[in-house]
Amino acid sequence: MVNIKINGMDYQVDDQITVLEACRSVGIDIPTLCNDDRLEPHAACRLCVVEVEGKKSLETSCSLKVWDGMVVETHSPRVMNTRKDILDLLFSNHPDDCLTCDKSGACKLQDYCFEYGVEKGSYIGEKKDYPIDYSNHFYTFDPNKCILCGKCVRVCSELQCTNAIGLEGRGFATKVGTPFDMGLAQSTCVSCGNCVAVCPVGALMPKRKEKVRYWELERVRTTCSYCGVGCQMELLVKGQKVVGVEPANGKANNGLLCVKGRFAYPFINHPDRLKTPLIKKNGKFEEASWEEAYKLIVDKVNGIKEDDGPEAFAGLTSARCTNEENYLFQKLFRAVIGTNNVDHCARL
Amino acid sequence: MANVTLTIDGQKVTVPSDYNIIKAAKRAGIDIPALCYDPNLEVVGACRLCLVEIEGWRKPETACSTKVQEGMVVSTETEKLAKLRKEILQLLLDNHPNDCLTCQKAGECLLQQYAYRYDVKFREHDGDRRQGFVDTSSPYILKDDSKCILCGKCVRTCYQVQDRQVLSFGGRGFDTKIVVDADLAFEESSCVSCNRCVTVCPVGALVDKRLLGKTRIWDGEVKGVKCKACDYGCNFEVLSRKGKNIAVRAKAPIEGRPLCLKGRLTTEFVYLDEPETPYKKEATEFKETTWQEALGLEDVFAKMLKNEKE
Repeated sequence: MVNIKINGMDYQVDDQITVLEACRSVGIDIPTLCNDDRLEPHAACRLCVVEVEGKKSLETSCSLKVWDGMVVETHSPRVMNTRKDILDLLFSNHPDDCLTCDKSGACKLQDYCFEYGVEKGSYIGEKKDYPIDYSNHFYTFDPNKCILCGKCVRVCSELQCTNAIGLEGRGFATKVGTPFDMGLAQSTCVSCGNCVAVCPVGALMPKRKEKVRYWELERVRTTCSYCGVGCQMELLVKGQKVVGVEPANGKANNGLLCVKGRFAYPFINHPDRLKTPLIKKNGKFEEASWEEAYKLIVDKVNGIKEDDGPEAFAGLTSARCTNEENYLFQKLFRAVIGTNNVDHCARL
Repeated sequence: MANVTLTIDGQKVTVPSDYNIIKAAKRAGIDIPALCYDPNLEVVGACRLCLVEIEGWRKPETACSTKVQEGMVVSTETEKLAKLRKEILQLLLDNHPNDCLTCQKAGECLLQQYAYRYDVKFREHDGDRRQGFVDTSSPYILKDDSKCILCGKCVRTCYQVQDRQVLSFGGRGFDTKIVVDADLAFEESSCVSCNRCVTVCPVGALVDKRLLGKTRIWDGEVKGVKCKACDYGCNFEVLSRKGKNIAVRAKAPIEGRPLCLKGRLTTEFVYLDEPETPYKKEATEFKETTWQEALGLEDVFAKMLKNEKE
């Protein structure tokens, strides 16, 4: 532990953490566009700058470790003015279209501009003018809205380990690109959408059939049903319709998802989806209640067990079940029915 | 009241015969865009966004001012209507500042909502724009003329308050604007800061100044509460962010619910973690005051102190 002074208050914090982490741990909110706890510090956006006693220039708190006796100012006039300038520079090279931008309401650049009172970009000059990449089935990339925080590149490389995208060019011409500028569809991208999830602005956006704004949405935390990993996700719900999925930070998935969990959700709204059990009556499937269905299963199981014994049964479960569901299934077969004929499709 | 049955977008709807089309459509779950319509206010047909097509009628009609008729066949979303609405919205945007980035109304702004729905964006033009006079004289209401779309809702709701009728239209044509009394600043006017006008403004032209810069609507939580200052029980909303109650705002008044400054301040005092200093209008100036005075509790306090002494 080390003793540090933040904004005139003395704190004791762990000696292995950054100034940003130290500030957060004591409840001081420092703005940052490029920081993500799961990624290496990148110090690209410079918004998290703080004043450190003894240092000539402002330091990025995301990349600076604490030391004993450190004295930090996180919201001094000098820091605030610098952050305003940074936001001003960023927004000066950003399309002014919060009116209809799909990210509006969940955009960190918008939030910080509001917080720091940056009403418009005051620098007049060249603006980025790149074509939008629509080539991927699941998401779009608008380089004009990109603020080059590099989160997408880092999540793709450090966590997803796909390395489909990278920062290319230098200076003003820097942009996030694919090898040989062939576009996302031609890259090694696996469409996991983890870059989309970390993008703080509207540069990487999921493709949607519905027009929705973030403030209309309700978020429902749930577990992905595609496989047994148990990734945590948030369903974005508008009215009675699921219109999107965003990863949640669960133990099993660390805030990541795969292409299925992230984008293959529209089946939820499909009219053909079964919502009640069906029982075949007179050669036709008819909707039934769960009680009826369970009763039918129990009756049939008891009947077959009496006539042919427990070995007449075999059970096969799905890899889409959770561990708990698979455990219960084998318990049902071994303890209730009395057979070891039970297996799981993932062994095939 | 006799009922009539009409068809809206292929749906049969049966409603009382004094309904207008917009109200009937709402009954059927169809949302016709409108900036100037409010079920509690007189219908004026100013914004023209609610235009609908009616079979057998020569031109599109405003759904707010057209009463339903038996057998009417109404279409609310045709290509022609979308084009008309786009044009109307484009004209409104041409005379509106592009500052959704930091506008307090963003997220609740109807102009923003409809521009998004009909995919209309701000465009560059060298025509005139409305003069951006901002009235900052009141600690309760911020009036930004540059954002006003002249729907007149504020004027109509103010008109409902007896002895007030503070807001009205001033000027003609492009120079038309909302004026306070005889074009005075809020502090000089007879306005009592009930904030009815703020609750009905569809854009960011009239905003609650005590909310300014505190939160964005998507960033915090909004909880409805009933005012406890008198028997009316007006509706207010408490806004919270990061577990702290940071602001109170008036909710649109409904039948028989007046809204008043005292009620809002009382609600602030009851709910907020750190209520801001209250202000009181004296002659033509807002002056800082104490909570006892603002809430009219001086007598109560005096009595309590007296009882304690005894």
